[in-house]
Amino acid sequence: MATEQQEHLKIEQLQHETPDTQEVAAGRERENLEGWIPALATDAETREALEKAFDYRGDVTLTLRSGEALEGYIFDRKQGRSLTDSLVRIIPSKGEQRTRRSIPYSEIAALNFSGRDTAAGRTFEAWVKKYWEKKAAGEKNIQIEPEKLD
Amino acid sequence: MAVPVAQAWTVATYVLKQKLKGRKRYPLVLMLEPLFRCNLACAGCGKIQYPAHILKAELTPEECFRAVEECGTPMVSIPGGEPLLHPRMPEIVQGLVDRKKYVYMCTNALLLKEKLHLFKPSKYLSFSVHVDGEREHHDFGVCREGGYDIAMEGVRAAVAAGFRVTTNTTLFDGADPHSVRRHFDQLMDAGVDSMMVSPGYTYDKAPDQKHFLGRARSRRLFRALLSNRKKRWQFNASPMFLEFLMGKRELTCTPWGMPTFSIFGWQKPCYLLQDGYADTFQELMDEVEWSNYGTESGNPRCANCMVHSGYEASGVNYTFGSLKGFVATAKAFFNWQYKDDDAAKLLNDWQPTSHGPLVQIGTPVISKASAIENHDTTAVVGS
Ligand code: SF4
Repeated sequence: MATEQQEHLKIEQLQHETPDTQEVAAGRERENLEGWIPALATDAETREALEKAFDYRGDVTLTLRSGEALEGYIFDRKQGRSLTDSLVRIIPSKGEQRTRRSIPYSEIAALNFSGRDTAAGRTFEAWVKKYWEKKAAGEKNIQIEPEKLD
Repeated sequence: MAVPVAQAWTVATYVLKQKLKGRKRYPLVLMLEPLFRCNLACAGCGKIQYPAHILKAELTPEECFRAVEECGTPMVSIPGGEPLLHPRMPEIVQGLVDRKKYVYMCTNALLLKEKLHLFKPSKYLSFSVHVDGEREHHDFGVCREGGYDIAMEGVRAAVAAGFRVTTNTTLFDGADPHSVRRHFDQLMDAGVDSMMVSPGYTYDKAPDQKHFLGRARSRRLFRALLSNRKKRWQFNASPMFLEFLMGKRELTCTPWGMPTFSIFGWQKPCYLLQDGYADTFQELMDEVEWSNYGTESGNPRCANCMVHSGYEASGVNYTFGSLKGFVATAKAFFNWQYKDDDAAKLLNDWQPTSHGPLVQIGTPVISKASAIENHDTTAVVGS
């Protein structure tokens, strides 16, 4: 579930337009979370930060109360009543492929948005701008390439 | 005939069986995503942005078959990522065909021609090729020059080899109905069996966040597009869903109609939104608070959605839900042309929107774009 802060453009739009009268639907503004180390001082801060970590399309590093540092992609979370019965589900970036782990919020001492945000910095406007520059320079076969995985 | 009689019969009997069993919520098509990696990076796609270790992961054939058996739908669509990048895709497709599932293997067709020999034509198998419009529109939408020509070469090769081929066209703000109508002609000329068309969804991870069609504009666009149809156009969609797109019918979302299974598990609640994952199909059905989704729920993420994966099942459900629905569908078969003078005028008077250059590749409309982006990290070949 995205936070209200993340969805504020859509929420604002719906305050003066009904879904049926929308001409162009609001998108989402990018939040720059890469490198962020949120303070997990209160329950509310912890919940909010882990909600953003769930929404984040890069790896994060969790430092557990046991001292273990766990880097991986958070693909799910379950919000319970307390931090003990709330948990994140993470796919570690190292080790056997797709061995998931479930970590209760209460065991998380620190969170770092350590991996690159794979949804950031590739805006469409940037592509359009580059496209016309390349076109003007007479280049052929212009494209955005998916990233190399190795 | 857009959908073969045997398939239509299978779907109809499946739906009626669910109704007789008194099941309130049942799925129609499994969206099976065996991998997320892709060989394109399209502007409107929010599916492929993941760290490398996630993009390298893939479902095994056994995991795919288990998911198919768990949810029991008569049809399986295989989107992705690009399914043809999965090294065991032929085995997955054959396993599904052996289970008599109607399979739509969705592909951007960049690899279709070279991999065609790995598949066998069957009435159960269709290649559903993603083509977003005429050459320039498609190339710009998929952010690759020459993409259209390769995709259409794949389409023609598959048709020539005796495969069923359908197409899938996603429209964003700026789409020109005249051009899309020409595109329909070109697809039918290429020998495709039928076409699917849908507005794009507001993926919040998509590179382009400014060209998502709102419902009002979607309805006008689809009315101009789908009224006064040509006889040769065959659509792979329920007539009620197409009427919904044209603003002729209200439908509410059926988020469980096309459940999605991927390397993360069963996606909650639908193909478009990611609110977490369930480990089993039953858990998905039991745990999701379904009333929180759909346009009528007030959920801002559902506000503009008119997408096939949410509303096609609603259309099918409407057809089989009451005599009224059945009669409306029967009428649609006779009134296939949707003659509409106002829609013809709407089409003739259509003005290209000024919301930017998503599909105007031939026209350098860069006023906004040039003012933006000092922090561009877009990878463009040759840069
Ligand atoms: S309205 Fe669209 S996004 Fe919302 S639940 Fe339905 S299909 Fe998903």
